[in-house]
Amino acid sequence: MKINNVSNQNFKGDSLNMAAKFIGKHPGFIAGLAGCSVVAQKIVMSTAEAGVAPIVDIGVGKTISKVAKEKDDRFVQSSKVQAVRTCAQSTGGMITGVIIRGACIALSTLGFMKAGEKAGGKIAEIINQEGIKKAENLYKYTKNAESWGKTVGGAIAILVMMFTNFLLDVPLVNFLNKKFTSIAKIKKENKERENQAQEVKEAK
Amino acid sequence: MGNPFTSLLKCCNPDPEKAGKILLVLNALGMVFAAASNTFAASVDKNTSKEDKKFLVPAGAVTGAANIGIYYLMTTKIIDGLKKSAVKAVEKMSPKELSDNTLQYVQKTIAKKENGFLKTGLFKKSPEYIASMKNALIKNGEATQEAKDLFKTNMKAGAGVLGAFIGAVVGCAVLTPIIRDVSAYFVQKRMEKNNPSLKDKPYRPYFNPTHIGPKWQQNTHAKKQPLTMTSYMAFTSGNMKI
Repeated sequence: MKINNVSNQNFKGDSLNMAAKFIGKHPGFIAGLAGCSVVAQKIVMSTAEAGVAPIVDIGVGKTISKVAKEKDDRFVQSSKVQAVRTCAQSTGGMITGVIIRGACIALSTLGFMKAGEKAGGKIAEIINQEGIKKAENLYKYTKNAESWGKTVGGAIAILVMMFTNFLLDVPLVNFLNKKFTSIAKIKKENKERENQAQEVKEAK
Repeated sequence: MGNPFTSLLKCCNPDPEKAGKILLVLNALGMVFAAASNTFAASVDKNTSKEDKKFLVPAGAVTGAANIGIYYLMTTKIIDGLKKSAVKAVEKMSPKELSDNTLQYVQKTIAKKENGFLKTGLFKKSPEYIASMKNALIKNGEATQEAKDLFKTNMKAGAGVLGAFIGAVVGCAVLTPIIRDVSAYFVQKRMEKNNPSLKDKPYRPYFNPTHIGPKWQQNTHAKKQPLTMTSYMAFTSGNMKI
C-alpha cells in the first residue's frame, strides 16, 4: 500500500513538473489561451472528434468482436456505420455550434457594453462593480464586457441549442451523413477495383 | 429575494482565474441539456414502440450520465493539475524573465488586436482601444505592474483553458465512442435475447433521428422496426453533447 502511495505521488509530482516545464517554455502560448471562449473549445473538440473518434469507433468494434468471440462481423459493420455518422455529427455540430455560440457571445457582449455604463442600472451594478468609465479606460471597460459576454453568451447558447439541435443539427447531420457515406462507398469500391486489378496483374 | 435574472447573472461571474472551469461547466451543461432533450424526444417519439421506450430512455440517460460524470471528474483533475503547474512555472521565473515574458506577451496581444483575426482585419479593435490598451500595459517601453499581474493571472487561466481543451478532446474523441459502442453492444445482446430472429439479420436503422426533427422533416414512411446497435449508437451519439 505504501509503495503504491509513493509511486502514485512520484507519478503525480513528475507529471506536474513536466507540465510546469512545458508551461515555462511556452508562456506566451499558455497566457494567450486565457482569452479563449466556448467557440474555440467547440472547434478544438469537434476537429479532434471528427479525426479521432471514427478510428476509436472502428477499434472498439473490432476489439469487442474479438473479445466476445463473435461469429459474424455485424458489430464491426455497425461500428463502421457509426464512424461515418460520428464524422458527420462532429462536422455538422461544429458548423451550427460555432455560429450559434459566436452569435450569442457577440450579442451578449454588445448588450454588456451598453448596459455596463447605465447609471443606476441593475446590470451595471453587477457587471461593473469597479465603476470603470468607458471614456476613461476603454480597454479595461471592453475587456470586462467581453469576459461577461463570453460567459453569459456561452450559457445562453446552450439554451438556444436545445432547440436548434433538432431544428438545424438533425437535418444537417443527416445530409452530411449521406454525403460521407457515399464518399466512403466510392473509396471502398475504388480500393476493391485496385485490388482486383493487382490480382489480375499478378496472375498474368 | 432578488430578481431571478440578476441572480442568474451573478452566477455567471467571469472570474479570470476560473476560465478553464467555466469552459468545463458550460460544456458539461451542454451535454446535460443535450442528453435531456434527446432522451425526452425519444420518449415522445411516435415511431418508437412502448417496449423499446422503456429501455431506450433509461439506457440513454444512464449512458449520458456516465459520459458526463467521467468527463467532468477527469477534466477537473487535469485543470487543477495544470493550474498548479502554471503557478510553479511563474514562481520559477526570475524578475527579469517575468518582465521580458510579460512584455513579449503584451506586445503580441496588442498586435493581434491591431491586425484582427488571423491578420485579416476581422474583429480588429479601434485605434482608441489600442491606445488605451498600450497606455494601461506599457510604460517607457516596459511592462507595467498591471501588465505583470495580467500575465500572471492569464498564465493560470490559460493553463486551466488548456486543461479544459484536453479534457474535451479526450472526452469527446475517446471516452464518448468507447462508452457509446460498449453500451450499444449490450443493447444488441439484450435485443437478440428477446428477439432471436434478429441474430440472422443485418442491422436495420430503427431509431432514426429524423423522427425527432420538426414535422416537415419527419420521415412519414418510417415503420416500427426492432431497435439495433446502429440505431442505438445514432441515438446516443446525439444524446451526449450539444
